[in-house]
Order: sequence, then C-alpha cells, then structure tokens
Amino acid sequence: MVIERRWKKWVYFYIPLTLFVIGTLFPFYWMVITAIRPDAELYRSWRAVNNAPFWTLSPTLEHFRDLLAKTTFPYWLWNTFFIAVVSTGISLFCGLLAGYALARLKFPMAGTLGTSIFVTYLVPPTLLFIPLADIIRSFQLGNTPWALILTYPTFLIPFCTWLLMGYFKTIPKELEECARIDGATRFGAMIRIIFPIAVPGILSAGIFAFTLSWNEFIYALVFLSSPERKTVPVGVVSEMIRGDIYFWGQLMAGALLGSIPVALVYSFFVEYYVTGLTGSVKG
Amino acid sequence: MKKIIAGGSTDATGLQVALPRAQAAGGRSTRFLESEGLLAGLLLAPTILLLGVFIAYPFIMGVWLSLSNTSVGNPGEFVGLRNFVKAWDDSIFQTAFRNTFYYTFFATVLKLALGMWLALLLNRHFRGKRIIRASMLLPFIIPTVLSTFAWRWMFDPTFSVLNWLLYRTGLIVTKIPFLSDGDYGMWCAIVVNTWRGMPFFAITLLAGLQTISPDLQEAASLDGANGWQRFWRVTWPLLKPVTLVVVVFSIIQTFSDFQLIYVLTGGGPANSTHLLATYAYQVGVATGLLGEGAAISLFMLPVLFIVVWVQLRYLRRLEGA
Amino acid sequence: MTTPRPVDRRGFLVTSGAAVGVAAAGLEGILSAHRAPAFAQGTKLHVLRWNDFVPACDVELKRQAPEASKALGAEIVFEFINANDLQSRITAAIQSSSGPDIIMMQHNWPFLYAGGVVDVADLAQWQAKEQGAFYPQSESAVKDGARFLALPHSIVGLQFAYRKSWFDDTGQTTWPKTLEELRQVGMKLKKKGRPIGQTLGHTFGDAPAWSYPLLWAFGGAETDKSGKKVVLADGKAAVESVKFMQAFWKDACDEGGLAWDDTNNNRAFMAGEISATLNGASIYIASKRGQDKIKDERGEPLVRDILHGPIPNGPAGSWGYHIPFEHAVMKYGKNVKLAKEFLKWLHGKEHFARWFEIAEGFSVGANKSWENHAMWSKVDGPMKIYRNAAQASRMVGWAGPPNAKATEVYSKYIITDMYAKAVQGMGADDAVKWAAAELQRIYG
Repeated sequence: MVIERRWKKWVYFYIPLTLFVIGTLFPFYWMVITAIRPDAELYRSWRAVNNAPFWTLSPTLEHFRDLLAKTTFPYWLWNTFFIAVVSTGISLFCGLLAGYALARLKFPMAGTLGTSIFVTYLVPPTLLFIPLADIIRSFQLGNTPWALILTYPTFLIPFCTWLLMGYFKTIPKELEECARIDGATRFGAMIRIIFPIAVPGILSAGIFAFTLSWNEFIYALVFLSSPERKTVPVGVVSEMIRGDIYFWGQLMAGALLGSIPVALVYSFFVEYYVTGLTGSVKG
Repeated sequence: MKKIIAGGSTDATGLQVALPRAQAAGGRSTRFLESEGLLAGLLLAPTILLLGVFIAYPFIMGVWLSLSNTSVGNPGEFVGLRNFVKAWDDSIFQTAFRNTFYYTFFATVLKLALGMWLALLLNRHFRGKRIIRASMLLPFIIPTVLSTFAWRWMFDPTFSVLNWLLYRTGLIVTKIPFLSDGDYGMWCAIVVNTWRGMPFFAITLLAGLQTISPDLQEAASLDGANGWQRFWRVTWPLLKPVTLVVVVFSIIQTFSDFQLIYVLTGGGPANSTHLLATYAYQVGVATGLLGEGAAISLFMLPVLFIVVWVQLRYLRRLEGA
Repeated sequence: MTTPRPVDRRGFLVTSGAAVGVAAAGLEGILSAHRAPAFAQGTKLHVLRWNDFVPACDVELKRQAPEASKALGAEIVFEFINANDLQSRITAAIQSSSGPDIIMMQHNWPFLYAGGVVDVADLAQWQAKEQGAFYPQSESAVKDGARFLALPHSIVGLQFAYRKSWFDDTGQTTWPKTLEELRQVGMKLKKKGRPIGQTLGHTFGDAPAWSYPLLWAFGGAETDKSGKKVVLADGKAAVESVKFMQAFWKDACDEGGLAWDDTNNNRAFMAGEISATLNGASIYIASKRGQDKIKDERGEPLVRDILHGPIPNGPAGSWGYHIPFEHAVMKYGKNVKLAKEFLKWLHGKEHFARWFEIAEGFSVGANKSWENHAMWSKVDGPMKIYRNAAQASRMVGWAGPPNAKATEVYSKYIITDMYAKAVQGMGADDAVKWAAAELQRIYG
C-alpha cells in the first residue's frame, strides 16, 4: 500500500474527483430542473431579482404530461428502441462472425479485408447519405424503420468487429485446439467453446452498438419523414421547436425520457462493459 | 494436428466429451467447414454483403457526385475537379477546414488529459466507487443531440444560467456572448465535446489501468519514485497501446462530427463555427448543390486516412517491441 | 406562448375507428392493425408545412384536414416541421423520390427546386381570377417564364415591434422616420439596458428580412436589371449601408444577436430584454393570446405596450422584404391530380378565409383582394399596419430576376453574412468585397 498523508489525499484525490463529478453531472441536474419548472419561471430574465435558476419552489410535471399526451414522443421512443435493437442484433451477428474469422482463421487477404472493414469506418456519413437516399428509394424503404436498420450496421459492424477481434485474440488458442482434438469441428468449436467465453465482449459490443444506434442523427433526419416514424433525436430537434418558441420544458423532459432506456441498459451492464473493454484492449 | 482432425468425427479416439451435434449430421458439411478459407468466406459473407451494398457502392456514387455538377432534381454532368477547386477557394470552406483541425486537436488533447486524470482517480478504492463510475459514463450515453440541447440552453444568449452564475459571483459585468461570437462559439463546442467524450476515454483507460499489476507501482514507490514519476515511468508506457486505440477512434469521430455543431450553433454565427461535415451538409442538402457538398465531404477522407495510418503504424511498432 | 399544439393521442384513439383521416397522425405504425381504414384505396396526400409562428393556424389546418378528406375522397395528412429544416427535407425528398406530395416553400425556393416540381399555371390563373391579382413578389417568387413553379399561398409581413412606453421615455413619441433616428433612439435605449434586438444569424426569416432591405435602403443592389452583372461592390451604397450597420450594432443593438435564430428575438422581447425588433406579428399575437402570463415590468399585460412600425427610411427610401409563402406540387408524387385539387380547395376563398382570420394579420393573402377582407376592421389597432405591408416589397436578387442564382445567394446567407462579418470586426469595404466575390462565384 502506498502510504499518503491526509492533506495530500484531499488535494490530489477528493477535490479533483468532486470537481469531475460536478462538472460531469451538472448538465443533467440542469435538465431535470428545467423539465420540472413551470413555464413562467423558465422565461424569466436573467437579471430579474427573483431569478433562481438552480432550484424551483413549484415543481410541476406538466411538461412530461404534455410530452407524453400531446406529441408523438411515445412513438419516437418505440421507434428508436426497435431500430436500435434490430440493428444491434444484425451488427453483432455480422461482427461476431467477422471478428472470429479475422482473429482466428488464416486465409488469403485476411489482412486486407480486416483493414478495408476498418477503413469503411472512416467514410463520412455526410458523403454517403445522398447516394444512400437513392438506394433506399430503389428498395422502396423510404420513411420506414428498415431504411435505418439496414444502414446503421454500416458503422456498427466495423466497430463490433474490431472490438470482438480484440477480444477473441485474448482467448488462448489452446482452448480451441483441445476441443478439436476431442473431435469437435472448427465450426462447432467456434460456437460451443469460443462464443460462450466471449460473452462479456459480446455484451460490451452490443451495448456500444445500442448506444451508437440510439444516438444516430443524420441518417434518421434524412430518411424518415412522418412524425410518428421518427426517432427520439430527430423528433426532439424537429418537433420541439415549434415556430417562434422553444418548448424548453418539454425539450428537457424529452431529453431525459429519451436517455433513460439507454441509461438503464448501461446500469445493468456496466461491469460487463468495463471487463469487455479490458479484454479487447489487451489485444 | 490437422491430419488427425480433418476426418471429422470418425477419427475421434475415445474421448466423447463435448462432441458437437453437427457431427451427427454427417461428414461432408463439417469437412467443408473445416477449410479455413471457406469457413472464413462464409463467416464474412453477411458483413461483406451489407458493407458492400451500403457503403462501398454509395461511396463510389458519392465520388462520382463530387466530380459532377449535380444539384437537387437535376442530374449532373461530369465536371472533373471543379467542385474541389471551388471549395478550396471558398472562404467559408477554409474557415470550416481550419475549424475542424482546431476543434479536433483541442478536444482530443483535453479529452485525453482529463480522461487520463479521471481514470487514475477512479482506479482507487473508495466508497461509492461503483455508483460514481457508472454515473461518470452518463454524458457519453445520452444521445448527443439531447445533451447538446441542454448545453445550448445553458449558453442561451438571453437566459444562460452560466452567465447568471458568473454575474452573481461578480466575475463578469455583461453577458458573455457564448454562441454569438465565432471564437467563443468554437470553444463552447470544444467544451461540450470534451464533456461528452471524456468519459469514454476515462473508462477505457481505466480498463487499461486495471490490467497493470499494482505490484509494479509498489516496486517503483519503494525505489523512491513519487506520484508523477510513477505515472510517467511505469503506468504510461503500459497504457500507450490502449491510449492510442482510443485516441484513433476519438479522432475519427470528432473530425467528422456533425450533430454537435448542427445543434449547438448550426455553423454560425456567420459560418464561423462550421466544420467540414456541417458545411458539407449545408451546401449539399440545404442549398441543394449535391456535387459541391460531396466534394467538401471528400476532403475529410485523406486527412482521416493519414491520421489513422500514422497512428496504427505507431501502434504496430509498439506492439512489436 | 403556452398554446399547446394538440395532437391529442387519446382523442385520436377514440375517433380512429370512425374518423376519416386525422391530420398529422396518419398512423401506420403500431395502431394500424386496430383501425378499419375508411378509404378502400387508401390514397393519402402528405402535405409538409412549417411550424407556423401562430400555432392556432396549424390547429385550423388540422381541423380543415378531415373536411378536405371528405370532400376529395382521400386522406389528407399534414406534417409540420421547423422552418429551418424545410430545405433539407426538400432536397432529401427530391433525391430519394419519396416524401410529401405537397411542400410549402418560402422566398423563391421553387427556382432552386425547379426540376422537381409540377407546373401549376392553371391553378395560378384560377386563383388570380378569384382573388385578384398577385402581389408582385408572390408572383415573381414562383413564375418562371410561363410556368408557375408553385402556387402562392400567403405572405408574412415583417415590421418593427417596439415598446411604446420605453420609446416615450427617451422622448421619441412617434416611430422614427429615418434609420439614423432609429440609431439615435437605440443609443439612448441601450444605455438604459434596453437595446434593440436584431438577428444576423443563419435563420430563414428575420435575418434576410433585415439585411436585404437595409441594402436597398441605401440604394444598393445585388445585380443589375438583367441579373447577369454583379453590382454589389459598385458605388458606395453597399459600403455605406454596412458602415451604418456597424455603428447601429455597437450603439443600439443587443450584441448577442449574431447567434439568434427566428425565435430568440421573440423571447428576448417578451422577457423585456430588448425594446424593439424586426419581426412578423407573432410577438404581438403571442403576447395577446398569453396576456395573463406575459407581463411587462409593471405587471401589466405586455401586449398593451406593443406597437408596430415599418423599417425607417434610408437615403434611398424605405423598403421591406415580406416573405412570400407558396405550395409546390412535387413531381415525384403519385397523386399529382389529387394534389392540385386539394390546393384548389385549400386556397379557395371559403377555406383560406378561415385560416386568414385566425392568422390575425401575421400572414396575409398572396392576392390583393384580401386587403379588403372584413377581418381588418376587427383587428387591433397596432396590427392594422400589416394590411398593406405586402405592397412595399422587393424580392431577393434585386435588381435582377429572383431566379435560382438569387436563391442560392439567399440560401448561403451571403448578404446577411456581409453585415455579420462587418459587425464582428471586418472593415466595411472588405466585407462588401467579400460578398461581391461570393456573388460573382455564384452568378458566374
């Protein structure tokens, strides 16, 4: 144990940590406060004497109520969730297979393929989305969630592949070879032995993919048009600013509600997430 | 080794443990999948198909767009490199180009420094560690668009809470023009990006830190090294690979960032906070000049390529050593 | 301010079984399985408009939708989005050949999208016959030779809204007649912490509505009459106007205005931060509708202290730029005939009148006969100025025709940026030179 003096602990540890916590979490506090303030307080001038931005004495749930009852926000939550889950599923499936192939199997062009999958990650979406609009049109997927479900894997797969590749590399080859001596086929060994061990990595990649998908904006902005088909990010941006007025109360309520599903997923899996990254970063 | 296994189940000698069901189905399909090349092909097929249709093909079309004068509703003709030249001469493009580098550089440096610091702090044992660790991730989890809105409200020209705070504590007399001024606006964006991205650095570096045995630290401290030296001589070299990977990903994301600027400033005031991605969007989609927008987007690619290539080579060298 | 936009989900669920078509919630998602479609062929007409700055107008449109659906035998669905996002949606829609059947456009956007819209000259002729001649800017915004690229719908007039009591306090009891007077008054007001508010940001309405008339008020122009020669940097007019703006900004304006969009000045005005701003009538209307909530510093309803005035005269006179709005029928649409019928229904005297009345002067008709509508006699005193506002307006691209190049200049905010750069520190000459170079690049 490295022995420290007490004052050192305060200066070098407690105070910085507290500052980090405050700095990181203050915007959330701000979001919550804004979401439960009545409108009259929200628009008070900043120089007004009774302006108390950090707390409110008359909290109200009207913004949440209005959000859920009077807008298509619930649809957005469902759409985003559906799209995120399905694209994550597709990406994990592809990423898992591809990651294993690139990490474990020897075949010509392995290096090139690996690099090219990674390179696709570099192509900016702002270049792709107009040609993608053409493709979406040919498949007649415009304004459906499938337009997104098929385009999201384009940035999710490279990431999942990389993450899982790293993870697979940390699994000792002996495990597979033992299984194969015991008579398992390569394919069988892959499924029965390796994949179960990689579950933390899979979970980690899955959570990441879910988050990235939830977070995506530009494709959703371009490919979805009906209000009830929108995802949360697009919906909040395009519909919460009605005319001359930003409905800040509803905006913040929407921001909070729109973040909860992702936060929940994380809270259940944060340990897996950390260990998953540990596994992959070693490789 | 291979010869013994290649025959599938029929050559199994004795041990029946963990025989996959696939063997019962018969030899030919499993023998087929034994071949590494073919198995690899099968495994990679879905990925290659998806990426081929939805990235490779649009990419080629995008490149063609950039070489044409297509505008919305009007199919274009080939015009060679004219869009690229026009962009290069465009003063707004030059601002956006500079901004992108400026933004990426400072945001990455800040994220790395703060993330590393936070990771070191979180690496200790203290009460409430799990909750704090989990809550530190929040900025990264929340959709960028939503949290950027919260920041925009905090920077609002009329109702900013930050202005209020600074005013009340007597630090300022007039409002700080957070988003009304080009330089301030750029720094506001850097702050928001740092706030958002730092947790990713922190958690990943933390994961890396946890693979470093504490004995190494102890040995160093017994040898008389102080905190800073311990970090620099022991921790940092072992963290370099992880750091590099995280930095590469972060640079890719930050350089092609769109959402944050779009929501925070829209590229304003007077086009002074545009990044390449937002400017490409404005030219291509808002103004409908698709060819020019595609050309602007393409400027991002070589830069990213070079940055990533350099870092990956460095990484390979580290790992080799 | 708190007039909600009710897409009342519960109400929808109740009526969905019997309803013919509910605007803005043409549900095909989760609930479609439970709804018996009322139209066998399921023809839908999707209409995209902006979020009106008078929310009650959108409410009226949603109310009209089922009526129209019944009259036309198809389902009419409205979608409302933020105006600044319209152009992106239009591009995406045209490129992917899928999207709304009718899209509302502003300014002279139809020229930019000329390749993707249907000629509606027949409808235009009908409307002009029924409702009187079009205002020049409405017509020039859509007329390309003999083709009408869209059907003019309305005009949003912009005037200065100002706090009467605050202006009185400084001794200015009438609205300033010249820009210089405005600057002087503004200087006094700013010293009292009540500056004038003007946006120079990248926003579709308030910014161009100020920057273009300011240029014209000093005698400046973008191009000559032919529209082929860029004359912005010729003579001293543009430089003088920029110099004025620099002085005006520093002396009289809220310098946060560079980051403002179309809503910031509304909020600032209603919060008592600024004393005057160029705007549509939405400030007045919102203050009136929210009288119990929107008060001034004495606790009185703010609306009683609001008056309107036109842009004061510059050396070359006073000009306004009032924004024309129009509906375009998209070429990729599958129901072009239905779309045209619907436009006839919507723009017709009977139904437009109801929308017009609810707009209370914020939007006026695109045809001259609406100046004589009975609504004007009922409207509040301060609003009467909007009746003839549309008469004194030029179009972007002046003095040349408002064609696609002029629209490109508008979309890139070049004129607005000319002023924005100058107030941020660039010299007036340099700012004008920059803008002229950008214009040259576009006009070729």
